[in-house]
Amino acid sequence: MRRLAYLWRNHRIASLAFALVAALTIGFAIRSALFAFYWSDPASRDQQVQGWMTPRYVAHSWKVPPEVMQAALGEVALPDRRRTLEDIAADRGVPLAELIFVIETEIARFRAEQAVE
Amino acid sequence: MTDTLADLVIHYGLTLIFTATFLSCLAVPVPTSLVMLSAGAFSAGEDLNLWACAAAALAGAVLGDQAGFALGLRFAGVLDRAKGKAALSIAKARAFTERRGGPGVFLSRWLFSPLGPYVNYIAGATGMAWARFSLWSVLGEIVWVTLYVGAGFTFADQLEAVATILSNASGAAAGLVVTLGLGAWLWRHSAPRRRRPR
Repeated sequence: MRRLAYLWRNHRIASLAFALVAALTIGFAIRSALFAFYWSDPASRDQQVQGWMTPRYVAHSWKVPPEVMQAALGEVALPDRRRTLEDIAADRGVPLAELIFVIETEIARFRAEQAVE
Repeated sequence: MTDTLADLVIHYGLTLIFTATFLSCLAVPVPTSLVMLSAGAFSAGEDLNLWACAAAALAGAVLGDQAGFALGLRFAGVLDRAKGKAALSIAKARAFTERRGGPGVFLSRWLFSPLGPYVNYIAGATGMAWARFSLWSVLGEIVWVTLYVGAGFTFADQLEAVATILSNASGAAAGLVVTLGLGAWLWRHSAPRRRRPR
């Protein structure tokens, strides 16, 4: 206690800095633990198809063959690399939500077929 | 946050990855870990090339370290002009970097990465040998890039989860180092006129 009192009198800024950094560290540690806990639940891991994703990224992440994405996009081959769904929707002049809906439907259809086989 | 960055990464590719790692080594607040994670994730879907992404990230990081070191070196003269107590502390800092600077540089690349840029400036300013600094910097950056681009590649479908956990964990690690350092300093200065063992 005498040490603490001494520090508070003579090194106030350093003491305050120490308390602040210690609190931040604990905060970050708790946040990491909470996030790790949250994401360990498979239910919270399910991503949604979003505008920034590319057809290849969706195929990889949802573990569906490229043909599923080709069918959803109505193309014989996947579009150029580095085109996001947002880009594709803009090219075609369709709303992004509509494109995403078609893709999600196609993935669901493929998964249902897989389940039957 | 994730979506905007991922969008930037897919459209600006390697240039963006290089710029991000370069700037973050100079303490410019850029969300580089997210950039590298997204690059890894897009490489998994083969939109980007994994090796090219890793090379761009590594090149940016190593050059960024060199720039930080050079900046520190440029202002080393300011330190030389210090007198009295300040000169003593600077001499101590120099001795410390000389003795233990290598592993410090290495670990502050990836394990305590938020501290990295400041270590660059200090290493330059305290006159750490350039070859030694460069060796540890390159080794450390290889670990950093492999860790983040690799995590993005492996956990491509859980980008957001990995990003939040990694960023918080690296904040905690860096905070712990600073807390321990400050704690040790305070402990040494907490007893008035204590007799020092010689």
